[in-house]
Amino acid sequence: MTLRELVESQHFCRSLSPGQCDGLAASAQERHYAPGDYLLSQHAPADTFYLVLEGQVEVKLALPGQGIVTLETVGPDEAVGWSWFQPPYRCQFDARAVTAVHALAFDAERLRALMERDPVVGYAVLKTLVGTLSERVQSCRLQVLDVYAPPGGAP
Amino acid sequence: MSAAAEAQLPAPWRITQRRQDTPDVFTWVVTPLGDGGIRCAPGQFNMVYAYGIGEVPISIAGVDGDGALQHTIRAVGSVTRALAGLAAGTVIGLRGPYGSAWPLEAAAGGDLVIVAGGLGLAPLRQAIVQVLAQRERYGRVCILYGTRTPADVLYGGELAAWAAHRDVEFAITVDRASAGWGGEVGVVTRLVARAGFDPERTTALVCGPEIMMRFTAEALLRRGVAPAAIHVSLERNMKCAVGYCGHCQLGPHFICRDGPVLPWPRLAGLLEVPEL
Repeated sequence: MTLRELVESQHFCRSLSPGQCDGLAASAQERHYAPGDYLLSQHAPADTFYLVLEGQVEVKLALPGQGIVTLETVGPDEAVGWSWFQPPYRCQFDARAVTAVHALAFDAERLRALMERDPVVGYAVLKTLVGTLSERVQSCRLQVLDVYAPPGGAP
Repeated sequence: MSAAAEAQLPAPWRITQRRQDTPDVFTWVVTPLGDGGIRCAPGQFNMVYAYGIGEVPISIAGVDGDGALQHTIRAVGSVTRALAGLAAGTVIGLRGPYGSAWPLEAAAGGDLVIVAGGLGLAPLRQAIVQVLAQRERYGRVCILYGTRTPADVLYGGELAAWAAHRDVEFAITVDRASAGWGGEVGVVTRLVARAGFDPERTTALVCGPEIMMRFTAEALLRRGVAPAAIHVSLERNMKCAVGYCGHCQLGPHFICRDGPVLPWPRLAGLLEVPEL
């Protein structure tokens, strides 16, 4: 599959015209990562928006005195990184390949410019981003609830 | 003695094996004394009696060929803590089986998605064993298991065999990873979105904490699985286990008699009512 076809096959492109998909494809490239490679590093410039095509990525955070904790893993058809969308455009977490990863990598600066210029594209990308955020927030809430903890009042 | 009274009389069973699965979860193999064996279906439960202390509903986690049963129990209350202290060789009281079973016959011919959360794997274990023994009767089979931490994973050896099965999609995730865990991290509901099944011909079996089942059902519905094809297993305060006492009532249902396995439409809205 060509880069153009890969971009066009993404969910957020379904509502876009061929010309708009061309614009998105112009800001994208395919990237491959080996297990252990970092896609994003904490505090580094958030200059890339990733969509995982194959493989698994772990989102990690260094906790003083406790080492590095994996907060979640992200798989195919899921987005990695949203710090590119909001100033100061710095990564808040590490993202590391657990397995071999094949991803679509969008240049953040070009993508933001395209979204500003063409609100239809901007809205389509934003819907994907909000969907990702919504799912992650819901997952995070369930993790915080600690639903598998021993129940109180059991016989 | 009336049939109703007889149904509430525990029979003596012996604990022939005891295995500590996690710090607070253990599994027994129990065998009947005499000819008191039972016929049961995956998803049903027994009332297990610690003599002189009390009775608790425990799902049937396994049925062995010689009439022995497996029960996986978490020590969380006075009765289950007493059960946790019983060694192999001890005689306990047991009555059952009770309740409804997983719809494995109705699911045959289609895809099957089995979603377990935490100790919810125990009521699904025998269903998984049965499905894998008759693998050709089903389409795609996905087993999705989420638990608290890597130390809380149940049935480790069996999970490895299920994961290695060439005709099964198996995924496991933990809510909190620890050093050395190389698997997925996150809630089990997220595995539903990625699993390879055809929603239009899928039956889903779900067991775990109620909030996990609610969000899993919503994830399955988002994928397009029909509400009536989603079955969940509920755990409530079963006492009589035969639908008389009402302790396990959830809205119009007596979970001991109408459940524990119920199709999702019969529970619509009930799991969101705090008073229930």
